[in-house]
Amino acid sequence: MATEVDPTAAPSSPAETPGAGRTLSDDVLVEMLHMLKLCRYFDERMEALYRQGRLPGAIYSGRGQEGTHVGVAWALRDDDSLFPTHRDLSAQLAKGLDLKRVMAQFWARIDGYTRGRDGNSHIGDWAGTRTFTVMSHLPIAYPVAAGAALAYKLKGEPNVALAICGDGATSNGRWHESLNTSAIFRLPVVWVVNNNQFAYSAPNPLEFPTPTIAERAVAYGMPGVRVDGGNVLEVYEATRDAVERARAGEGPTLIESVSLRWRGHAGHDPAKYMPDELLQKYMADHDPVRNLEDRMLHEGVVTSEQIDEIAKRVEAEFEEGYEYALASPFPEPDDATKGLWVDDGYWTSEPGRGGGTEAG
Amino acid sequence: MAQETEPKTERKTERKTGQPKIESGAAGHGAEPRGKRTDDGQATYLIAIAEALWEEMERDERVYMLGEDIGVYGGAFKMTEGFLDRFGSNRVIDTPIAEETIVGMAVGSAMEGLRPVAEFQYADFMSSGFDEISTVLGRYHYRSGVPLPVVLRGPSGGYVRASSFHSVNPEPWFAYGGGIKIVCPSFPADAKGLMKSAVRDDNPVMFLEHKWIYRRIKEQVPTDPDFLVPIGEADVKREGTDVSIVTYGALVHKSLEAADNLAERGISAEVVDLRTVHPIDEETVLRSIEKTSRALVVTESYRFVGIGAEVGATIAEKAFEHLDAPVTRLAPPNMPVPFSPTLEDAFLPQVADIERAVEELSAW
Repeated sequence: MATEVDPTAAPSSPAETPGAGRTLSDDVLVEMLHMLKLCRYFDERMEALYRQGRLPGAIYSGRGQEGTHVGVAWALRDDDSLFPTHRDLSAQLAKGLDLKRVMAQFWARIDGYTRGRDGNSHIGDWAGTRTFTVMSHLPIAYPVAAGAALAYKLKGEPNVALAICGDGATSNGRWHESLNTSAIFRLPVVWVVNNNQFAYSAPNPLEFPTPTIAERAVAYGMPGVRVDGGNVLEVYEATRDAVERARAGEGPTLIESVSLRWRGHAGHDPAKYMPDELLQKYMADHDPVRNLEDRMLHEGVVTSEQIDEIAKRVEAEFEEGYEYALASPFPEPDDATKGLWVDDGYWTSEPGRGGGTEAG
Repeated sequence: MAQETEPKTERKTERKTGQPKIESGAAGHGAEPRGKRTDDGQATYLIAIAEALWEEMERDERVYMLGEDIGVYGGAFKMTEGFLDRFGSNRVIDTPIAEETIVGMAVGSAMEGLRPVAEFQYADFMSSGFDEISTVLGRYHYRSGVPLPVVLRGPSGGYVRASSFHSVNPEPWFAYGGGIKIVCPSFPADAKGLMKSAVRDDNPVMFLEHKWIYRRIKEQVPTDPDFLVPIGEADVKREGTDVSIVTYGALVHKSLEAADNLAERGISAEVVDLRTVHPIDEETVLRSIEKTSRALVVTESYRFVGIGAEVGATIAEKAFEHLDAPVTRLAPPNMPVPFSPTLEDAFLPQVADIERAVEELSAW
């Protein structure tokens, strides 16, 4: 169960409770498991391709944090908006991004969501799934999420904005500004912190002085909730409650979802600063993919044969995406300077597809 | 000159001779009401911009304002006086002192179909919102195709004894990053027409209002609710044949005064008002240089990597064969703007400085 944090109490560790209750149907759980496994498989395969030198640019693994990503995205409606960071590609996939176009983005192709203008998880699909195109600065999307929420409020639309950042970004002034302002205006927004315990190399005690992030909500007059990111259902239910609260006009909520960043900050980072004991503990006890799978097997929601089928489906989706990405042409060089302004119509017309599939 | 006749301006430019004086309430803020048009229809720059905002709010209910002290108080310069009563607190939103969030909220609400006009109490404080301006507002559309019809407006510039943190000309900071149109009008009618164009533009626009001009300059201003001045077009405010003075903002007025004085001494100076500093209207600038063969670029933004550096380089690059003298810049050094009148007057270009620079150019 999610816990509302009492700032006077001793800090709790994640997952003191075994798991949330079940409010999702069996079919939905199967879809959720599929999404978790897709995100995990994607993350692992892309890192392998990166290490083989077959993937250009950068990768930012979200492994071990898929429970947070899938759990929060699952609580949103199609018209609700998502403002993620580079770490949160799994949340974007769960919100509905097309894996094929995601992979075209990684390979810098015209069919990527940014038409080759950005790479890796610096992705978004505002027109389709209402996800913000990720930027590197942290937490740069927090104020923008407040703006989307302001628009919902001003227009009387029943939508909710949900923003994710990491624990490191909570040290930034914008984090304070956004929470403070959203509470003053009672905006329909949910603030999610994916506390994976490391800001690049800096552990939590070097980022903030309080035992938890959730208790900082008290300073903004909003509820602060701490959940186990290794338990996707707990994340989902806490987010669902916060989203409902926002939709009802009762204002923002801060959700701290605790996990561990299993890999380095980016593909190049071996993360030698990560204590091995901590990593082993989280991989053993807080793996969101295995936790849901085990639970569903235990409850008889799926059979091991069905799990195998999900795994095969995931592999096929990845292979399809890979082939699609490599077959998609690079952008045409002459388009490099188009689309800065609305006026040239670049973004409202089909782009040129004559860039070939081999980069110089 | 665009109007073909001399604009009806009240030029109260202090001369460099004699004792510099400190004006009370010099920065322009205070409790004085915004005021009204004169009986014959003249409007100050402050009134003209307020009219533009009012008319656009009336025209399009997606337009709303946010900023510090713009509602109940009516804005530090009284630009939004009366707006809260007319349009209500959902369209005139007083925000906390949180510039990154003001910009971010403008962006997010624009993504959801609104057309925000965000006020910075002083353009100096745009640096407090720098990341959301330069990183999100300027670069989001290129990567995503999502239009951001956002106007950021604020009072900029010096000559008002307001020192380092209330006299900044921030336009080069943001022109460098690209993706944001930057408008710096000098006359009330231009200001009104450009503000209306800015609100209707689907691109981000930074609208810098020179605070020295606010209550000093007035002229006839059109009342047609669809009176627009296009963004990206310069305007020749005074025709001349000997030297082109390319400038914008408060220095347009100082350049016009200098041109008047120079005419008495037989030197004919043309004054080109850029009006928009990004993108620059190269065509109008180059056409003027073709005529005069001498270019003086006068800016309040710094000489080093300022707007004048870009204009000067463009002239040198594209009008080389027409030049009879080196392209000359008159602009302050990249240092804080000082407070004391003796220091500020020495620091910022003055009418006498412009006259001297034009005379030196004419001697070639």
